[in-house]
Amino acid sequence: MTLLEHIGLYSLLMYKTFSVPQRWKMFFKQLWLEIEKLGANSLSITLIISVFMGAVMTMQTQMNTENPLLPSYTTGLVTRDTLLLEFCSSILSLILAGKVGSNIASEIGTMRISEQIDAMEIMGVNSANFLILPKIVAFMIFIPFLVIYSMFFGLLGGYFISLFTDLITPSTYIYGIQYWFISWYIYYSLIKSVIFAFIIASVASYYGYHAYGGALDVGKASTHAVVNSSVLILMFNVVLTKLLLA
Amino acid sequence: MIQIENIQKTFGSNRVLKGITSTFETGKTNLIIGQSGSGKTVLLKCIIGLLNPDEGDILYDQRPLSEMDKNTRTQLRTEMGVLFQGSALFDSMSVIDNVLFPLRMFSPLNEKAQRDRALYCLDRVGLQGKETLFPSEISGGMQKRAAIARAIALNPKYLFCDEPNSGLDPLTSIKIDELITDITREFQMTTIINTHDMNSVRTMGENIVFIHQGEKDWEGHMDEIDRSPQSKLHEFIYAGYAQSKR
Ligand SMILES: Nc1ncnc2c1ncn2[C@@H]1O[C@H](COP(=O)(O)OP(=O)(O)OP(=O)(O)O)[C@@H](O)[C@H]1O
Ligand SMILES: [Mg+2]
Repeated sequence: MTLLEHIGLYSLLMYKTFSVPQRWKMFFKQLWLEIEKLGANSLSITLIISVFMGAVMTMQTQMNTENPLLPSYTTGLVTRDTLLLEFCSSILSLILAGKVGSNIASEIGTMRISEQIDAMEIMGVNSANFLILPKIVAFMIFIPFLVIYSMFFGLLGGYFISLFTDLITPSTYIYGIQYWFISWYIYYSLIKSVIFAFIIASVASYYGYHAYGGALDVGKASTHAVVNSSVLILMFNVVLTKLLLA
Repeated sequence: MIQIENIQKTFGSNRVLKGITSTFETGKTNLIIGQSGSGKTVLLKCIIGLLNPDEGDILYDQRPLSEMDKNTRTQLRTEMGVLFQGSALFDSMSVIDNVLFPLRMFSPLNEKAQRDRALYCLDRVGLQGKETLFPSEISGGMQKRAAIARAIALNPKYLFCDEPNSGLDPLTSIKIDELITDITREFQMTTIINTHDMNSVRTMGENIVFIHQGEKDWEGHMDEIDRSPQSKLHEFIYAGYAQSKR
């Protein structure tokens, strides 16, 4: 399929997805389930990668800035800004594209090939609206929490380095992460992440919804979902950075 | 009453349906029979509107499917109950939630009444006590029965069953056939059943359409089978019998 065909089919699917739910009660029920499945179940992986990446970033920045001309707060400041600007939105989204994206694509893909989506359609249910809308909305609602949570644990990871190694003292680190703080960076990250959440959930749903064949094809659909949503995230990252920061 | 007129369907170079015309009357059990791969499932999917025929039209009580707009089609679909060949139960939901699903989406009944209706349907297919199990936790035959319960939950005007008793033991098969016959009479449904179960053909074939290589080879009542000169039909009907005699 050509790129244009993909864009066309994707747009049609989104048109079908974004309609008024047939039963609001069912929508909110699904929404709640999805928040738990897509959001809450991503908390542990977010915690782990944030703590470790924050720690590594602090160590590497410290080791690379042992220049007497650079002030001692550089390490904290650089770690903080890297976390706030890029890691906790873009990199986290890339990792979540792997986890959440493959989860969505394989779930919807399995429903497609086992005729569950047909069964839904034939009852008169708008399957795209019923299945996909709650996923997109749930992930867009929840991702800001994941980003804030990741920022906190990333900074905490760096703090652990200052506590448990003699690379940097805790007070220098704390001073650094407070120095020249720009709150817009947080909003910038949150805005980006919400858009990335839309990309992940909608692209993964698209590949799942159009899966065709057997179990092997569901696997392929899920791979396509992860690869393509990751590429889109990287491209939109450039555009959004230009729009919001530069 | 459902009328089909000159239904043709081709997949690539594979001409699956070569112009099938027939009438399925209300309150009768209409059977579509034929060998594996003869196109029964494709025909049924064309009738319910999951596949678009290349040629021909389907009339639901004189209303042509091809001329229906989206809302009319959705309305029609709430009047249809479909049992898929592979059951197509929603595997994220328990048995009772599967049966409750169409009720929750479309029924005006309150929660208690919906539950009662679902339990009644499960009772009729002999699945009492299995409500809370998930599709993966019940046998293939039970899945089929749960899917029948889901199909009849909304008291459909049109009932379609793709091999309702494949994978069931003879006793359960007979029960399912009786159930389908009963509800068809009781609620004056238009019922179409795909089958290659000879027992069903002999006991519920009030109107039989025999499909051979994508063409309608014969049509008639079960009592007329022996009087028909069609050798293909006899070959098909008596294949099992001849084998066992040998
Ligand atoms: N989506 C599809 N794409 C391409 N070919 C298809 C498709 N669906 C069915 N066919 C082809 O149509 C033919 C008829 O298939 P169908 O499933 O209708 O058979 P059937 O009569 O239901 O058989 P069975 O009794 O085994 O269920 C087969 O040759 C099949 O390969
Ligand atoms: Mg079939």
